[in-house]
Amino acid sequence: MQSPGWVQRVLIGRNPKRTLVRSAVLVVVSLVVFRFVLQPIRVEGGSMLPTYKDRGIHFVYRLAYLFHGPRRGDVVAIRLLAGGHVMFMKRVIGLPGETVAFHRGHLYINGKPMDEPYVKLRGDWEHEPQPVGADQYYVVGDNRDMPWAYHEKGRPTRDLIVGKVIL
Amino acid sequence: MKEWSIRAILVAALIALGIWSWGIFFPSPEKVIRKRLGELAKVASFSSKEGLVAKAWNANMLADYFTEDVEVTVEIPGSQHTLSGRAELMQAAAGARSAVSSLSIEFPDIKVTLAPDRTSAVVNLTARGKIPDDKDYYLQELRMRMVKVKRDWLINQVETVKTLSLNSYRRGLPWGRPAPL
Repeated sequence: MQSPGWVQRVLIGRNPKRTLVRSAVLVVVSLVVFRFVLQPIRVEGGSMLPTYKDRGIHFVYRLAYLFHGPRRGDVVAIRLLAGGHVMFMKRVIGLPGETVAFHRGHLYINGKPMDEPYVKLRGDWEHEPQPVGADQYYVVGDNRDMPWAYHEKGRPTRDLIVGKVIL
Repeated sequence: MKEWSIRAILVAALIALGIWSWGIFFPSPEKVIRKRLGELAKVASFSSKEGLVAKAWNANMLADYFTEDVEVTVEIPGSQHTLSGRAELMQAAAGARSAVSSLSIEFPDIKVTLAPDRTSAVVNLTARGKIPDDKDYYLQELRMRMVKVKRDWLINQVETVKTLSLNSYRRGLPWGRPAPL
């Protein structure tokens, strides 16, 4: 039997049947991993600057909150009401039952100032205490230099939080 | 055994073909609404290469997607605007068309919730607009009420929504306020 040429060996290997099976397994595993475990996302906009830059590619770990809820400081992906093709990427700053306020750009949880080492662009936000509901998380971007009115922030419920941004 | 397997495969293929054909000839209301909104996104988009006649034609086509008494509530930071009636909406659309040279609109997410009588539906959708000169997309969440008029699904109410600002009580409502119909 004539041995396959080097082009064939590079493209489909010595055993085409085995290569086919391997390719099929690779495709299925990739689909499952990138759809249900590590979902790739692309950042649009500057609300998470300077931590996450515009147009950057990152991954959302969808299994991060299987056994516990989001924690303060986690950067999470939040789906919109209509679906999950477009998501918000925000940082969790307030947990269920807490109150969140801003004074001179600094975060106050239950009236106490919080240290936020990830905030490099600090503005002068002033906002009265807002209660966070029992099933809600207060999320906001790292770029606090944006005007309050134009910065998307708020209290999504737990079911809208898709996972944790890890890479 | 072999003959039996071939028959089983043929029967399964026929059943699959039947289901597929049924979906093509008798689409569900959800499917019709999604298709209609896809068409709306195309009609609402325009490019600088379009001639005046094409622009006017598309602007007229836009009217076919809305009821005569459509109400559009747009909330932008600090203010809220309401457009009442198809004529006012078309006027605003014409104004938008003259303000930018081209615009590309798409709806990446559409969620349809049919009313029990299947003659009206609440649609949550994400609209993404792109103006070629701008590097950023414009994103807007919308909630629409669509009604079945004869055989067409028409948009009767539109309001801008924000996932992060809605509380769970309001999210659960079929519509933010009593519907006029």
